[in-house]
This record gives sequence, C-alpha cells and structure tokens, in this order.
Amino acid sequence: MQRKTLLVLLLLVVPFALAAQEPKVLTVDSSSPLLEVKVMVKAGSAADPAGLEGLAYLTGRLLLEGGYGDPKKPVTKEQLAEITRPWGEGAYPRVRVSKETTTFSVTIPREVFTEYAARLLRPLFTQPLFASAELDRVRKETLEEIRSDLRFQQIELLGLLALDNDIHHGTSYAHLTSGTVRGLEEVKSESVRSFYRTWYRPENLTLAVSTKDAAIVTGLRDALASIGQSTGEATPLSARAVEAPAPVAGRHVTIVGLPKAIATGLHAGFPLPVTRADADYWPLYVANVWFGTHRDGFSHLYQVIREERGHNYGDYSYVEYFESRPRYLFPPTNTPRHYQYFSIWIRPIGNEYAHYLLKALTWELDNLVRNGLTAEQVDAAKNKARVLYLSLAENVDRLVGYRLEDEFYGLTPGYLDQYLARIDAVTPEAVNAAIRKYLQAENIRYVVVTDQGLAEKLADDIARNRNVRGKTPKEYQLDSEPREGVPYWLVPEGRLKTLQQDAVWAAYRLDIPRSNIRIIKAEQMFETAAMPE
Amino acid sequence: MKPSTIVRTFLILALLGTLSANAVAERPPAKPAKVFPYAIYKKTLPNGLDVLVVETPEFKSVLSYNTLVMAGSRNELEKGKTGLAHLFEHILFRHAYKGQIGAYQDLMERLGTHNNAWTWFDITFYHPLSFTSNLAGRTLGAEQLPGVMELEASRFKALDFNEKIFKTETGAVLGEYRNSSTFPTLRMSERLLALAFPDHPYGHETIGYYEDVVAMPNHYEAARAFYDTYYRPNNCVVVVAGDVKAEEVFAQAEARYRDWQSKPVKPVPEAAPLQGPKREPVGWPADVAPRLYLAYRQPRFETGSVETAVGQLLAELLVSRSAPLYKKLRFEKQTVSELAFAEGTQGFESFDPRLVIFDAQLFKEQYARKGTAYVDEVIRDIEQGVGDLQQFSRQKDAKQILQTLKSKYRYDFLAAMSSPAAIAQNLAGYYRFQRDPEVFEKLLGSVEQLQPKDVEAFAKKYFVPQNQVIITMAYEAAKPAK
Repeated sequence: MQRKTLLVLLLLVVPFALAAQEPKVLTVDSSSPLLEVKVMVKAGSAADPAGLEGLAYLTGRLLLEGGYGDPKKPVTKEQLAEITRPWGEGAYPRVRVSKETTTFSVTIPREVFTEYAARLLRPLFTQPLFASAELDRVRKETLEEIRSDLRFQQIELLGLLALDNDIHHGTSYAHLTSGTVRGLEEVKSESVRSFYRTWYRPENLTLAVSTKDAAIVTGLRDALASIGQSTGEATPLSARAVEAPAPVAGRHVTIVGLPKAIATGLHAGFPLPVTRADADYWPLYVANVWFGTHRDGFSHLYQVIREERGHNYGDYSYVEYFESRPRYLFPPTNTPRHYQYFSIWIRPIGNEYAHYLLKALTWELDNLVRNGLTAEQVDAAKNKARVLYLSLAENVDRLVGYRLEDEFYGLTPGYLDQYLARIDAVTPEAVNAAIRKYLQAENIRYVVVTDQGLAEKLADDIARNRNVRGKTPKEYQLDSEPREGVPYWLVPEGRLKTLQQDAVWAAYRLDIPRSNIRIIKAEQMFETAAMPE
Repeated sequence: MKPSTIVRTFLILALLGTLSANAVAERPPAKPAKVFPYAIYKKTLPNGLDVLVVETPEFKSVLSYNTLVMAGSRNELEKGKTGLAHLFEHILFRHAYKGQIGAYQDLMERLGTHNNAWTWFDITFYHPLSFTSNLAGRTLGAEQLPGVMELEASRFKALDFNEKIFKTETGAVLGEYRNSSTFPTLRMSERLLALAFPDHPYGHETIGYYEDVVAMPNHYEAARAFYDTYYRPNNCVVVVAGDVKAEEVFAQAEARYRDWQSKPVKPVPEAAPLQGPKREPVGWPADVAPRLYLAYRQPRFETGSVETAVGQLLAELLVSRSAPLYKKLRFEKQTVSELAFAEGTQGFESFDPRLVIFDAQLFKEQYARKGTAYVDEVIRDIEQGVGDLQQFSRQKDAKQILQTLKSKYRYDFLAAMSSPAAIAQNLAGYYRFQRDPEVFEKLLGSVEQLQPKDVEAFAKKYFVPQNQVIITMAYEAAKPAK
C-alpha cells in the first residue's frame, strides 16, 4: 500500500472572530467516582520551529507551571498544587508532549467537576501567564535531563531515542519531544506565547471525558471554548510540514560511545508506511506479536536470545512507536504518530557479543521475511494478541486515551472497539502477505550503544565481516570429558540445535562498508535536531 | 472462548460521606462507609494457604490470578548467595509441568495468559492475567488444556526443573543486572544498604551483588533449598480478582492446593540499630549530574498503628509539590532538579524496619562552581525539613494540612484501585503483614485518626542522626571547587 502522503500544511493564522468552532468532546462511559479528563492539542514537537526545538514541550509545561488568571494576582503553580491537593494526586494536571500532539490529563472526583472546571480548567487553559522565571527553571531542568541523565545514565533510552532521531533525520519528527540543547536555549517567553496563540485554539483541540453525563460534557466544552483569546500581541508561527522519513538504502550503523559502559544495547529499524488506521496493520501486528511482543516471553526474539541463550533481559520488536519502552509493560497512550517505523530492541548484552547479536537479529528478521509464519504460529500469536487486549484496555484512563488516539487516526470504530474482532479475522495468508510487503532485512538503520573504547574495533569488525562467535560450550555450561588430553564437549540433543544456529548467525554476512558506519559520542547526541556526524 | 468486551464501568458502592466538607455538619456521627468498594472473601486451607477473592464483575471476563510468596531478598541469609529469590522468580517460569520441559509456559501461552512476576525485599509476586474462562481449563480441538489454577498450583507445590535450566536462567539474570548497572542509582543503593544494614539481608539489593550474580550458575543446591524452605502454603497467599465467584474459586483451590505440604519458616533475625550518622561518596565514570541519597531507619509496617499511618503521609509532607521542603529546594533555591523518595512508600512498607530514602538530583553546574559545599547545603536543607516536622503541631495550620492530606490519601487510594490486577496487587501487598482482609479499612481508618502530635512524635523518634545514612554520587573526573 502506498500511503497517501497526507499532511499537513495546517493553516495557522485564523482571525479570532472566525474561530468560533467549539472543541469536540469525546466520551467513554464509566460510573467510577473518579473522572478522567483529557485535553488534546493537535500540535506537538513536530511543530517546533527549526532552531526552537523544545518549544512545544516548554509551552505544555509552562501552561501548568507558569501561572494563570489575573496577571496582577496570578495563581502560581504552588497555588495550583494547593487547590488540587485535597482531590488527590491525579487532580494536579499532567502533560505529555508527543510529535504531533500535546495531551493534558487529570483524574478528579466526579463531585468536584463543576468547581474544578470553573476554578481551574477554564482559567488555566484560557488565561495562562507563562511566567519567565518559570521558563528559566523548566528550561534548566530539561537541559540537565538531556545533558546528564539521558546521555549518560539511560543507556537503553539513549539508544531508542537515537534510533528515533536517525530514522527521522532531516524531518520535523527528528528531535526529542523535549527539544534539543540548542533549541531549548533559544526559546523566549515570547516564543511560548506564539506557540500557544497558534495552536491552543478551540478548533485545534479534542477533549475527552469518562462519562456521558450531559452536564459534565457541556461544562467541559464551555470551560475550554474561549482558549487562545488572551495572548495579546504574540505573533503567530508559521506551520511546519510533517514529512515521512526518508527511505533507507542499505545497512547503516551508528555507534554511540559511552565511557566505561559494561554492556551494549542494539537497535535496528526502518520506516513503515502503515498506521493502525490501515487494514494491513492487523496482520502486521499479529506477525509482530509472534516475532517480538514487548516484555513477553512469548516473543520469538526473546525466546532465542534470552531464553535459549541467556544473553540479556529481553528482546523485542515493534510496528508502532512505543514511548518510554524501558519503563512500561504496555504502550502509554497519547503518543499517536502518522509516521511509523519498524524497530527491534535488544536490551543490554555483554560487550563481546555486540557484532554477533547484530548478525543474529538481522538473520532472524531475514528469516522471518523469507519463510513467513506457519498457521500454528499465527494461531498462537492471535491467542497472545487477544490476551494483550486485557492490558491495553485495563482501566478507564487507558480507554479515554485510546479514544483520543482514535480521533487522531480517524478510526471508527475505535481501536479497542474493533481490536478483538480484527484479531479474530486475521488469516495466515494475510500475515505472510503483510510480512512480505512491509518487512525486509536489507535496508536498515542500526544504533549500537556501547563502551566508547570498543567502538573503533567494533566498526572495523563489522566492516570486515569478521568472524564472530556466540557463547562457548563452557559459557553454555556444557559438560566435557577429556579424550587424549583434549576436552570433548557433551552436547545434549536439545542443545545441538542452539550451537548449529549459533554457527549460522556467526556466518551471516552483514556486508556493511566502513563508510556506512559512524562513531559518535553520547555527549554529541541531542545537541541539535541533526544526527551528529 | 470469545470475550466480548471488558466493561469499563467501575461501580463504587460508597464513598466516605466526609469527602465533601459541607455534607458533614449536622448529621449524627455514623460509622464511616467503606472506601474500598468490593467485598473481600477469604478462606484458609488446612495446610495454611490463604486464598483471597475480590469479585469485580464489572470487569467482564477478566481473571487476575496472583500468588504472593513471602520471601524475597530479605530471606537470603547466606553470604555470597544474594539474588537467589529473584533468580527463583525466573526459574518458576521454567517449570516442567508433568515432567515435560517447557510445558508450563507452553500451556499458559496456549490458554492465553499474560504472565509476569516481580521480586522485592520481602516478597515475590506472580501475576498472570487471563480470561475468566481459563481459570478451570478448556478444550482446544481434541485436547483438554489444564486451567490457570492447575498450572499455577503445580509450579508452586511441585516445581520441576533441572540444573541445565537453572544455569541458562542465570544468564538472563546477569543480563538484568547489566541493565540496572547502567544507572548510578544501583551503585548508590548498593552502598547505602550495605551501610544501613551491615548485619541484615536488607543490606543488599534484590538483584544481588554482581559477583554473586556471576557465580550464580554454581548455586544450584542453594537455590533448591531456597525453594524448599519458602515456597510453602503457610508462606504464600493466593489472591484472585476479576469476573469470578468466590465460592467457585474456593472449591477449586481446595482440590488443587490441598496436597501442598506446609513447613515452618524460620524467622529472619532483627537488624541491630543503625549507629549513624554514616556517609560515603560514590564515583561514576560518566559525566552525570551529582545525586544524593539521604536515608533514615523507619519502623516496620503494622496495620492500624499510628506510626504506620504517619508513614502513609510522609511523602506528601516532605517531597510532594506542596511540601515546604520540596518547594524550598526545587522552586525557591533551585538547588535540586528533582526530590522524591527513592522507593515511594515501599521503603517503609516492610516486615522489618527499613528505610525512607530521600533522592535528590542535583545540578552539574552548581557542583562545578561550589563543589561539596553545594551537596552539604542540600543535606542541611533536608535535615532542616525533617527537623521542622518535629515541631509540626506548632504550625498554626497543622490541623488543616492534615485534613487536606487525609482527603488526598482517600482519593489516591481509590485511584490506585483502577483494575482487578491493581486491586489484587495492593491487597496482597498490605494483607501480608497481619494477614488481615480488613487491612484497607484499617489502614484508611488509622490515617483518618491522625493528629498533628502523631506526626511530631514520629519525626522526633525516627529523624535523628543515629538513624541517618548518606550516599553522595558525582562524576569521578569532575573537578569541583574546593
């Protein structure tokens, strides 16, 4: 399927008088005493002007932390915390900035909704003050997060985000949703006001609430109806195109070096022209459940790399973006994207196996493409996919989150509403057709996060197709007996297959020229939107 | 089997009437209604196994089947053999059901289960999630698949695994250690715990020491002994929540678990007093921001006790957005980029007295300018913050603050009960202390009763130098000002 290149030259400069359109409100029926309320702004980090990466993120954060109401008597973030405190932690608003959306969420007692809407939702969203002292503080904290936490303490996240950056290199998706070091440094209060004025508008919002109670639905819509009208002189921003990632030609490796890393993380990916709004999504999803279900022993990659060989903690693959993978067992909601990519994530392994497992993951993908899945494998994957539904739909917060994503993708019926029926309808033929159509192992971007002292040698080994090995018989804890002074390994029948497959992986040729391998240092990452050279 | 949908309604039968202030006034004092909206059913089998059932029929077709083993790294008493409890969590998934290697996992998959577990200091928690129709098993084509309960009972009462399987799984644990060791926090907490508990197994992390994890393949016999000692019905609790009927669960549990033999579990010796203050620096090879752990020994968890109730509000009093200490450090002085308790409230929800750990993330730039004087200043501010709690009842709005916190606590409690799995995990976690199915109401009741003087007494007793341990962490090559 060729994806219609939709998008997105959203227009921006709508005179206030014309913007009478009310925000849309979506509902999920629940009788819980706690209400889930979400506000989705259809603009995220992809709308950051070039050079001001981080603007969407800072705007979202400052809406909550920069004060609101009467500028002479502002309600500060401290007062906001005081007001919401008796209603529980969930009553203090949270924000998630994604590539194309910014979503605010609260969980509040049903009986306080009216008060909450009047005292909080309305003035917070319609009369934000964006105090510049708060901008300085939030900026400082965000920079610290990138410079010290992300670059040097989060080996897993660093690799995942470097791959995201590399896949989308050159487009407005490329930079971190929280921005780049240079971009964050450039943002002024004025830019935040401009971003708010441009994007926080009734016609650009979708609201969602976990009740069908008409009074609450109307109350919510009214509270947000006049958003964007109090921005004074702020200059509107021009829209930024959202583009598909460039196709990958051949295999490319980025090695990100960390000082004294005791482990190596492996990542691989390529763009995928499929979202959950496409019919082909479902067979591809089932194929991926078999190949690499996140955090689940069912996955094939997990079976062969972790379970059979004990290399690491887990091995997964994805056909849809999954935010903060190290943290969550199931994908958090409110991170929808029109542009997706296929990816493989091999969690930290011993440094000495980096090249070998790079071959292994590629061979496994190659093998999946060449041979497809059997009817039994598809059945098993469908069975697993059905169970995943229990977790995807676990609580009301998730149901509301998916409802908003349905709106983003234009899905009716909604993702969860059709999930089980769609899974049931997937056939082995469709799965194999989808694998052949969308997956391949020739054109891949790899990211390897490893010890910087090993980077040069690793690059060299890969470029020379050097022979590598997996674990030795001793490392596999096999018994041996000496014969004529030489140890003979006693290989149990079940293990023989493992050793044979090890040899197949080791002999697999990646054929990556040295010119397709770059070595960078962790401290170079996320300085600007471009990948460091 | 085809579940239609999980229904998304969460019926709450009653909320505390006191939640909205204007409703309280003239009514005669009545026994407060229950906050937890579901009935909890309990049955103890003759072998000592407690089975708890929470019926939540609104969550259609959901089966949350949980087994709590009251053993974790706290029960690793032998030097050089840390990490066994966690390793065992892994081994349990390798159970050879009816002698077939891999059969347990295979059957759980074919039934349709999301199967996972975790290990902590006091406990190991196994929590498969499935459809209710899988509880008792079902036919698949010509084959009869055993149900979730049969498969779970089988691995807990008669685990079948061999040395080869054991050794392979040790590799996965080493991989998990590698994951964690990429964070300076693992090194920090390793040192913190070692200083705080030199003579108690709380002195090591659940994952175990690196040398021990590397040597694990040689500890097969010790691992077997661990299983034999702690995986006993009298030391476990089964919690089933979801679209189930208590009577049916009990009837099946009697049949599946009755032949599991009980065995007394030997108590863990109590830790000696901490003898603080203690302080130690930790270096890190990469250019990270400095970080600080500041911990105090805490009381053990006791359902309904005043001290435990104070513990439930500590995070809100000290490290929440509205806490004076938090506001001072993060917003006014801006000397930290984050301040939290390292383990949430879990630090003091434990069988034996453990720790509350302040986790302060500092700024590189200020460290470069001011050096250790900067770290010392943050430490002094935290000490001042806990010191202020020692005079809590002298604050003029102390009563009002406490009232607000009680309200917040109730709503947070409700918010935490958002699904059968969440309910089961919370119930198991608190039930384990006094084995009291009324634990939720007692805990909420004890918080409701708190007075400012209780907070003050707690702070005076526990936030003292003798109870204090500090770990500071910074980039090894950083050259801070002297």
